[in-house]
Amino acid sequence: MRREIRTAALTAILLVPLITSAPADWRALNSAQPAASYTYRGTIRAVNARTGTLELITGVGMSLRVVRMTTAPTTQLVAAGGAPRLADLKPGDVVRTECRRTPTGLVADRIEKLAVSTP
Amino acid sequence: MTRPRVAVALLLVAVGCQKPVKPGDPLPQLSKTERDRFNRGKVVFDSVFTPETGLGPLFNATGCGECHEDPAGGRGDEVEVHATAFHSPFCDPLAQEGGPVIQQHTTPALKQALGIDQEPFPPSATARAMRTSPVIFGRGLLDLVPDSVLLAYADPGDRNHDGVRGRPNRSLDGRIGRFGRKAFVPTLREFNAGAFAAEMSVTNPQQPTEEDIGGKPIPAGVDPAADPEITQEALDLTDDFVRFLAPPTPLKVGKDGRRGRDLFSRIGCATCHIPTLRTGDSPVPALRYRTFAAYTDLLLHDMGAELADICLGLATPADFRTEPLLDLRGAEHFLHDGRATTLEQAIELHGGEGAGARDRFKALPPADRAALVAFLKSL
Repeated sequence: MRREIRTAALTAILLVPLITSAPADWRALNSAQPAASYTYRGTIRAVNARTGTLELITGVGMSLRVVRMTTAPTTQLVAAGGAPRLADLKPGDVVRTECRRTPTGLVADRIEKLAVSTP
Repeated sequence: MTRPRVAVALLLVAVGCQKPVKPGDPLPQLSKTERDRFNRGKVVFDSVFTPETGLGPLFNATGCGECHEDPAGGRGDEVEVHATAFHSPFCDPLAQEGGPVIQQHTTPALKQALGIDQEPFPPSATARAMRTSPVIFGRGLLDLVPDSVLLAYADPGDRNHDGVRGRPNRSLDGRIGRFGRKAFVPTLREFNAGAFAAEMSVTNPQQPTEEDIGGKPIPAGVDPAADPEITQEALDLTDDFVRFLAPPTPLKVGKDGRRGRDLFSRIGCATCHIPTLRTGDSPVPALRYRTFAAYTDLLLHDMGAELADICLGLATPADFRTEPLLDLRGAEHFLHDGRATTLEQAIELHGGEGAGARDRFKALPPADRAALVAFLKSL
């Protein structure tokens, strides 16, 4: 028992300087709450591949709203036929997006183009 | 008389003795609990909202019952304005400018803040549409007709060469639509939640944010009620009230009406106005696997340039959903914008895919035309 306590104390003494000298942003990242995520399904209203922005029309019934989001280099784009580029998306396409809110607005982590049959 | 014959005879007597359903009545087979929810939902449906209880700041009506009245769930005399922008093949419902429903009234606080007494007409709109308030009887049954049934009636390529090409509309997220004059909304629940927000600007858990005014946020201090402005329970009760409103029993028809019913099918009206549909499964026995008089296929049809107005979803300006022919006997105006004042006018205004049936109607002898109209007036 006394040996276990001594081992734990020694480990703590060795680790404290490592933790306290770690970069501030490393600690911030680990202490921050995970960002809230949002999922939207809707129709693309506008897309700008140059600025990496996307406007989505969502809503309920006849009450419609526009959701604006940006993409990041890490944003994953998927479709049934493969991995499209943002420039391949166009107004009228139906997508499901997974986003997180950041101080500058919604950022898309994943954009999935959904296959919708249009007889 | 054999036992099976006796059973059939008793069943016929029972059906014949069933009390006719009047406009505004609930479905006859509801349980006590469901009937209670119908009655409590009617209270919310009939309630009048004020700015303090959630109304506005933009609105078309102060309560559901203002447009669906006489009796609750029936028609009103209101005509509202819709607008969208059609950039073929994409239809922009103008959500960034307030959405397709253009509210015609403002609360006093908004009028004082912005000096407007209605929502500004969106500058990007390419078309304007007028819309009468529809009856909402039997909508719970229409909600439960399986998508597969609607798809079975679709014939976008006109494979049978009858000139009728029904196709389903799709919602923003790709589901098959069925509610609204353009069949844009897939479920009754969404249609009802959207109506609270679009018609009264009463936010609710399904649409918790207020609409912008011409793309600009609402000025501070003009919307005193906290969002959401009604609870999920109030929304659910209203939904149950609408869901449980029964389609009125058609009136008994005489010899002329029966001939009119045959003509309705023979000249091709029934190609789109499918006389009966059947619901699928439901936790509500009164709605489960029910065959009912619908007179619709819930699909979009090109009705010609004369009637064309706005696009919505996949519906082009000329596309309209086949209107369910329910409670025609109570109607004073017909078609989506109420432009026809008689059933004959409404039929004669059918164009596009409806032109064939229209022309066959016009070619009928006067007595047959009168018989067909007599049948329609029994619905």
